[in-house]
Amino acid sequence: MQPRSLLRLRLRDLAAAFAFVSMAVSGQLPAPALVVVGLGVGLALLGRRPFGSRGGLSALVLALMGALLMGAVARGMVDLVVAACTFAGLVTTQRLLSAPTPATDAQVHLTGLLMVAGGAALSGELLYALALALFATFAALSLGLGVVEAATPAGEVVPVRAVLRLLALGLLFALVGSLAFFVLFPRLSWNVAGRRVSPGLGPATTGYSDTVRLGGTGTLKTNPRVVLRARLTPDPGLERLDAYWVGSTFDTFDGTEWSSVGEPLGSADQVRLAPGGEGVLHQEVELLPAYGATTAVALESPSLIGGATAHSPQGSRRTGLVRSPSGEVRFAVRGTGYSYHAYSMPPARQETRAARVKDASLFLSLPPDMDPRVSALAARELGTTTEPLASAERLATYLRSNYRYSLELPGEVEDPLAHFLFERQEGHCEHFATALAILLRTQGIPARVAAGFFGGERMEGHYVVRAGDAHAWTQVLVPGRGWVTVDATPEAYRAAQPAALLAWLTRVYEAVDALWRTQVLDYSFRDQVDLLRSLVRPPTSREAMPEGRLRLPPARAWAAALAVALAVYATLRLLDHRRRRTAPHAATGLLEAVERELRRTPGVWREGEPLEELAARLRVSVHPLAAPVARVTRRYLEARFGGVSLADGEARALARVLARAIEARRQADAPRSVTTGR
Amino acid sequence: MSQPARPLAPAFEPTRARAQMERVVHALERVILGKRPQVELAVTCLVAGGHLLLEDVPGVGKTTLAEALARAFRLSYARVQFTSDLMPADILGTQVFHAASATFTFRPGPLFHQLVLADELNRAPPRTQSSLLEAMAQGQVSLDGTSHPLPQPFTVVATQNPVDFSGTYPLPDSQLDRFLMRLSLGHPGPEWEAQLLIRGGGAGALTELVGSSSPEELLGLRALCAGVTVEESVADYAVRLAGATRTHGDIERGASTRAVMGLMAAARARALFEGRAFVTPGDLRALLVPCLAHRLLLRSAVQGAYSREEAAHVLEEVARRVPAPR
Repeated sequence: MQPRSLLRLRLRDLAAAFAFVSMAVSGQLPAPALVVVGLGVGLALLGRRPFGSRGGLSALVLALMGALLMGAVARGMVDLVVAACTFAGLVTTQRLLSAPTPATDAQVHLTGLLMVAGGAALSGELLYALALALFATFAALSLGLGVVEAATPAGEVVPVRAVLRLLALGLLFALVGSLAFFVLFPRLSWNVAGRRVSPGLGPATTGYSDTVRLGGTGTLKTNPRVVLRARLTPDPGLERLDAYWVGSTFDTFDGTEWSSVGEPLGSADQVRLAPGGEGVLHQEVELLPAYGATTAVALESPSLIGGATAHSPQGSRRTGLVRSPSGEVRFAVRGTGYSYHAYSMPPARQETRAARVKDASLFLSLPPDMDPRVSALAARELGTTTEPLASAERLATYLRSNYRYSLELPGEVEDPLAHFLFERQEGHCEHFATALAILLRTQGIPARVAAGFFGGERMEGHYVVRAGDAHAWTQVLVPGRGWVTVDATPEAYRAAQPAALLAWLTRVYEAVDALWRTQVLDYSFRDQVDLLRSLVRPPTSREAMPEGRLRLPPARAWAAALAVALAVYATLRLLDHRRRRTAPHAATGLLEAVERELRRTPGVWREGEPLEELAARLRVSVHPLAAPVARVTRRYLEARFGGVSLADGEARALARVLARAIEARRQADAPRSVTTGR
Repeated sequence: MSQPARPLAPAFEPTRARAQMERVVHALERVILGKRPQVELAVTCLVAGGHLLLEDVPGVGKTTLAEALARAFRLSYARVQFTSDLMPADILGTQVFHAASATFTFRPGPLFHQLVLADELNRAPPRTQSSLLEAMAQGQVSLDGTSHPLPQPFTVVATQNPVDFSGTYPLPDSQLDRFLMRLSLGHPGPEWEAQLLIRGGGAGALTELVGSSSPEELLGLRALCAGVTVEESVADYAVRLAGATRTHGDIERGASTRAVMGLMAAARARALFEGRAFVTPGDLRALLVPCLAHRLLLRSAVQGAYSREEAAHVLEEVARRVPAPR
């Protein structure tokens, strides 16, 4: 291998590696494929290409792997798209490890493109975009070097340094240009398939689920994946919202698990949960794929949910909402992510309007075979207190101060509630919420358990909620006020608490990801108009503009105007320059006509050969076309460089002369070739 | 009228100029067999008013070509054999003391001829080589504070042997740059060589060569050259060609401005030879190698004839790459 190709090959291998990474970030590729491709890329980067001379054998192995994948698809173990992407990765690996010929290079780049396309089908997240940009960079550098190498005569040194500088400059220009194109080019719909489809870091493993169940083994992990992003109007302007986002409420506890009674009602475009009124909080909610459930989530207490869209690999479509009697709202169409609008009554407003509860007895039911100690405990702690809210607060305070919070799961026990209250005395939010609800019920106070999220972190004008913010709490029915939230979980443990460094890293990633979502994926024509408007209009807010002063456009408007003017000027200059450079001379038309004629007779004219040289060559070789070509050439040169312009129609006449000569020669040649054929 | 009589510029007749040059070439061809392209270039060089450098192995007719050119144009001719002990005074001339009148008078050297053959120029020390510089550039010789104009037309035809380097002083670049063209004749084809044997060498033919032109006609042709027009795009093309040699990766030093001017002068003469009153891009391309190859300094350290070959190669590439006006 010549040393001059090494850099190009490295760049090629890196490009292929990043093309594969663009698929791998979806987290859907099978682990063995990751290992195989990773090993292959490592070997290739070290310069080891063991398949160099054993192309047939390795192709056989490849075919075998393909067959294995097909089998897996047939048995439903692997998705067809995932299998195809995996196979593309394997093909690339085989090509990477083969002898680096021009054909192999082309195939590697082609499979790279294929893998990038596969990556787009699997995920459209920020990491994919990063991998795509890196693939484009390395592939472009490698291809550019390849072109230069091909143009350099054998034995000479390729001017790598000079070439790379130019290439990098060009690449930078292309990137900046595409960015400008992206920002400025009007788009009407960017809602294509594949976005919001699959998370960049794999689906969330813990967090909110549609049920609340005590027991289980293991440890709950604090998951920092963002599951919900909402824009609130009016904007509370808080850094941390620390609000309850309710998803489901449960009325029946069987000793281990909470559930709701009643069949879901029909599907509708919007669902009203409570009468609206003054001061409702509007939320524009997006549920990300990490969410994983189908329940709509809204700030407490939701009054109206509607305008829902489900996002799936097949595209985005409107979906109806199904309401269950317990107040839970589910999406009628299954998607990997959802967006919808919700209106909520802030907690302070609830006092004025009470939600009517038809059957309070439902919220008094106790699990069968309940440990008698539970009701005794409640009676002891409450003493003479009977007012529902006061009782709830009292019991919650008791739980908070006497029980410890733990993410360790207790394992499968006979009676999880009694186990929590009397033996282990530590548990997580579901234990606290359940305990409070059941303790209240034993004393004849209606209560239920709500599940959802607690928290809300401000990010880029939105509030985000993470999988680790999943929470459960208790609601107690207060006559005249309706359901009032009482949280028995110690305050410090309500929202997720990741480690400091991890938290910072997550924040950075989420911030960039949020930018990617708002500025790239969701960047629309509207945003472009807004951007342009913000550039030219004076600020509308009052505090930014003192009264009495002349309302001049802001500095950035001048800057934008200047930039636009410069761009227009540069474009005009360039166009003018080009037009002057390429102003077609009248004689150039003749030249083009002549070249068209000459193209019709193969073997006479070599593409790109100047007419003068052709005429001289024909004259020397006493070609039958020498005379007409010389005549046309002479006239062309006179007209173009000698200042003797062509008369009207002369160009056409000359071209015809040449055409006739060519035709005559062809007819003269034809019979001769027949006679030689005999 | 007190003004000196000036000859009026001849009426511009490219066809007549072509006929005159064709006649000279035809006459020369009878002596230099089978070398039409080189002969055409040599005549073009003379008409353009440039000096000619012939670079080739011994015995292929360099000297014969120079002498034939002189005879064809009926120019006064001197041959100076350059050797390592040749002094500038030997070619320029000396001040001679006249005892009778007790004054110095200038006795012109062999340089005072219309066509000077500087044979094996690279055998002379740089001092002697450089004494030619003024003569070639200004057409005069300055000696002891006095300028002596050289006869007009004045042309130097120099020869050098590119293969045998022992005991030679390579021509300085400033000297090379003053030669408008560099040609190498090469061996004639076998049929022409046989013809040469039959006719008993070129010497006989040389003496038979009758002047087919005259110094006045040569000066007239040179005056005509000045009238050949150059279209804007063609001038731009010449500049771009020269620019490409300056930025080419294989060339250390590209064509000088003198080189571009020389190229255009030669192109004008070639246009005349083709019977045209204007220069075409093809003229420039045809003269690119003869006019520029010897002036380029390549990055590769090849010397002599091989460097010329390489330079020719590079120049052909430049001609291919620089887009011609259409």
